[in-house]
Amino acid sequence: MLRIVAALTAALACIVLAEASRADETCNSPYTTQLIKGQEDYVYVWTLGVDGLGDGSDKLATVDVHPKSQSYGKVVHTVSVGSRGEAHHMGFTDDRRFLWAGGLAEAKIFVFDIASDPAKPRLANTITDLADKTGYLGPHTYYALPGRMLVQALSNTKDKGGVTGMALYNNKGEFIASYAMPTDGGGDGYGYDLAVNPRKNVLLTSSFTGYANYMRPLGELIKDAEAMKRFGNTMVVWDLKAMKPKQILSVPGAPLEIRWSLNPRDNWAVTAAALTSKIWLVKPNAKGEWQAKEVATIGDPAKIPLPVDISITRDGKGLWVNTFMDGKTRYFDLSHPEAPRQTYERVTGKQVNMISQSWDGKRVYITSSLLANWDKGGDDNEQFLRGFAWDGRELKPAFEVDFAKDKLGRAHHMKLGSKALRAAR
Amino acid sequence: MRTAARAAGVTLLAWLACAPAARGHDAVPLPALDFDPPAPGTYTLQRIMAAPDGEVLGTDGRARRLSAFTHDAITLLGFIYTTCVDPDGCPLAYRVFDALERAVARSPALHRRIRFVTLSFDPARDSPAVMRRYAGSRLRDDGAVPWYFLTTRSARELMPLVEGFGQDVRYTLDRSTGRPRRELSHVLKVFLIDRSGFVREIYSSMFLHPKTVLNDIETLLLEEGARR
Repeated sequence: MLRIVAALTAALACIVLAEASRADETCNSPYTTQLIKGQEDYVYVWTLGVDGLGDGSDKLATVDVHPKSQSYGKVVHTVSVGSRGEAHHMGFTDDRRFLWAGGLAEAKIFVFDIASDPAKPRLANTITDLADKTGYLGPHTYYALPGRMLVQALSNTKDKGGVTGMALYNNKGEFIASYAMPTDGGGDGYGYDLAVNPRKNVLLTSSFTGYANYMRPLGELIKDAEAMKRFGNTMVVWDLKAMKPKQILSVPGAPLEIRWSLNPRDNWAVTAAALTSKIWLVKPNAKGEWQAKEVATIGDPAKIPLPVDISITRDGKGLWVNTFMDGKTRYFDLSHPEAPRQTYERVTGKQVNMISQSWDGKRVYITSSLLANWDKGGDDNEQFLRGFAWDGRELKPAFEVDFAKDKLGRAHHMKLGSKALRAAR
Repeated sequence: MRTAARAAGVTLLAWLACAPAARGHDAVPLPALDFDPPAPGTYTLQRIMAAPDGEVLGTDGRARRLSAFTHDAITLLGFIYTTCVDPDGCPLAYRVFDALERAVARSPALHRRIRFVTLSFDPARDSPAVMRRYAGSRLRDDGAVPWYFLTTRSARELMPLVEGFGQDVRYTLDRSTGRPRRELSHVLKVFLIDRSGFVREIYSSMFLHPKTVLNDIETLLLEEGARR
């Protein structure tokens, strides 16, 4: 408290962090402040526990990624949640003091304090009422709104299918409301990602599949024709203020991550459909009606490369795409979003999933794990965080953390951290 | 009541539509709203959280509970520093509050049903006397929209309010020395609080526009009317 008093009694500079971010550092909620526009110090990796590996639990690993640090490229801290629940995605609160994370096999949400000591996140709260309050299962996307968090789930506790919805919590972790994904007017009720364009009052959601599918071994699932029909084929345009669906867009093949262009002059978003290996553009037509249009192909769809994550550059001119099956990282020129053009590719692993970039686009981070039962086996089951330098022409390896060798687990989602974001406490 | 509130809302929106770009004390026009917000009463403002309570000081130096300023009328509350000059921060909030005050003044049905509260982040500098000077002609507890300028005795009394509202306070780090700089950063947030003291909307700079705020106020009034 004395430090706070000292800070408050010192000369104050009113730094108002207004319109901010959107990207991994380019792919956060636009309401997330304190963007790291210089060199990040840490990559937080939300890691699936593996039975027999370390403590076997899901955990948040802090990796030092500052090139001048003595521990560069090393895990400097881990915090285990003491259970294994298919750790998947994370999201910052609007003030970037807390990182919410969850697993797809359960309905728990873990809230990590990353502001008290950015190098050593601390499990501050575990939210356990999602299922009771909503009937939803498998919280996936954590999207900051002012003072609250909008959580997109993937499934439900009743039949563990794909019909699901969103839950709204305040930043203290208190449940506020739930919103079902639409099942009428062409809606399939499925959910996956969500992303907001505040200037247009638009919330856009995508659709994947339910617990019954994503927890099955992939090899078994793809042979089950009936089960393969139970994937999302829609995106929904919502009135953000009213939290009401306005339009259902047909986007076949499980549209996953959604990225709005960060250019204030743009008014469009892109997504990648996992099963059809297509990039889709979502933008309004001349009448202001939102439309989804297939604009590019990723690899050879016949080989099911499975695009699993995308990351847009801060100027909206480029898009990284990771495809899980062939282990490739591709770069698309988005200068003409109606016709994205692949300009680069490189195999970055035997299996690759998430991709994140720094605000300036010069550093790119890649992890390996998709889902516990979908990851490859044997020697192909690499588990890593790899850092690369990007000079606009070539991805050059910078460091690697072997998550299997370090007995951590399966490396999944990443968020960036900075020493400078220590709260006044 | 429901009809009266709707009529008042229609008047307000008509005024906003016809009025020239709102200008505040620094004569900078407010940014245009790039969408048509949903009509009042067609959506629900969720009860986000209870507004925190604590001791505050009025411009007369008297101690009061903040809850006296967050109940029994719809409250629009924002944090400021009197030294803040960032155009997207405290001055933006002022311009919006001023535009709202002018709009409400034209609608007698809304008089005294809405209040503004401006609470300082900086008790060391912003004494009651400083707040009184800062408020100038805006300071009033009569008129169409009472406007209160509050501060606290100390950081110790301020922090529970700051934390309770979820306003971020943090050091910034001087990269050249690695030491915390004596600066506070904060993100512009304005809180809409209902008559029962619940926060019903939190506006960031992207949503802080008189039109959206007025729609929300009217939505709360319609909700009150439906309850009676």
